[in-house]
Amino acid sequence: MKNDNRLNAKDLINVGIYTAICAVICCAVAMTGVIPIMMVLLIVFVPILTGIPYMMFLTKVKKFGMILILNVLMGALMWVTGMSYYALIVGTLSGLIAEFIYRAGDYKSKKCGIIAYAVSGIYCWANYFGIFFNAEAYFSTRQNFGQEYIDSVTSMLPMWMCPVLLVVDLVCGIIGGWIGTKVLRKHFEKAGIA
Amino acid sequence: MEYKLDRNVHSLLDPRTKLLLLFTSSVFVIGNAGETWMYVFYWILVYLPVLLLFAEKEWKSGLIAIAIYVGSYYAQLALRHDLTALESALALMLYIITKILPTIILARYIVKTTKVSEFLTAMNRMHVTDKLTIPISVIFRFFPTVIEESRAINDAMRMRGIEMGANKASEAIEYRMVPLIASCSIIGEELSAAAMTRGLDVGKKRSCIWKIRFRVLDLIIIALCLICFIWWGIGRFFT
Repeated sequence: MKNDNRLNAKDLINVGIYTAICAVICCAVAMTGVIPIMMVLLIVFVPILTGIPYMMFLTKVKKFGMILILNVLMGALMWVTGMSYYALIVGTLSGLIAEFIYRAGDYKSKKCGIIAYAVSGIYCWANYFGIFFNAEAYFSTRQNFGQEYIDSVTSMLPMWMCPVLLVVDLVCGIIGGWIGTKVLRKHFEKAGIA
Repeated sequence: MEYKLDRNVHSLLDPRTKLLLLFTSSVFVIGNAGETWMYVFYWILVYLPVLLLFAEKEWKSGLIAIAIYVGSYYAQLALRHDLTALESALALMLYIITKILPTIILARYIVKTTKVSEFLTAMNRMHVTDKLTIPISVIFRFFPTVIEESRAINDAMRMRGIEMGANKASEAIEYRMVPLIASCSIIGEELSAAAMTRGLDVGKKRSCIWKIRFRVLDLIIIALCLICFIWWGIGRFFT
């Protein structure tokens, strides 16, 4: 086969399916952002919960470009559902990096897979940029949540939290990826799906 | 060669127009760009999706959408004063509904009235690569499936007494996530087999039985979107 390295329809459909699963899980979790403390904890729950479908997705990845496409699409979905375009930019970059990391592991290594997942999940962190860099505009559209909500969110997210959240995101990504691989081993490899 | 179809199954708008409208709506309604300056356009963009639903004779869902929207809008206005924590959470929920609902209706309209082959052809004309359009069309096809599956799995798990709160949270999540992913991956395999049969992988240019071109209504809506952006630009940079 001469076009072995090009993405074919099957790969692209796989990308679509796993993007849809990840997006549904993200949405379901993000709904809890109504409570101020959950707004901050999203960065813990989203990476851990999307770990399982993502690791499953990585077992299907054998060619360059699939992780990148998934990240671009997730970023675009975040943008359309009203987060901000930061997620798209950061998602594209982190997807590219994750792509290289996973390729360094020959598209097989579990360790590289976990790290690639942690890196590509940075778009979660990018969603908070609006609060950090553009707080006035961010809250001007949300005046009517009551001052209490605004105060509690801003007090939990001072500027120095920005790098901290990145670290938290990465760590949770690693945890999520690790859980994902364990679940894969426990359920899917035995069943022969992965 | 031209095919004659028995009935006119066209939707009113071209897929490209629909996407432009979705983009405009997400910038100005959800993103709330321009705020008071964009007041008139905001309301146009809020009610346009419902008009489109009516135009496709979707009377029921259109009316329900309007009812939910108007209800939550006024409830949200009524809640606008010193709030307790609970009221604030409620207000936030209503606010999210009023922000997102118009765009959700629009997205629903788009998914309902656009055929996958129409979408692929239109995107192809815009020279968007297959590598993005195929996953996007799969996502739109797959959202309802994922939700349906997860609902079914949820019911099954409830019947076995595995619920959030009743068991360990990790168990409750694992027992939902694993079947969901397993069944979705099997459905996906079938889907790609079906796509293969239809020759998605041949690598030649696809033909499309529907004629895709811009009509008068398309031009009106494209003009509306452009005016939105121009008006926003004027407000942003000249006042």
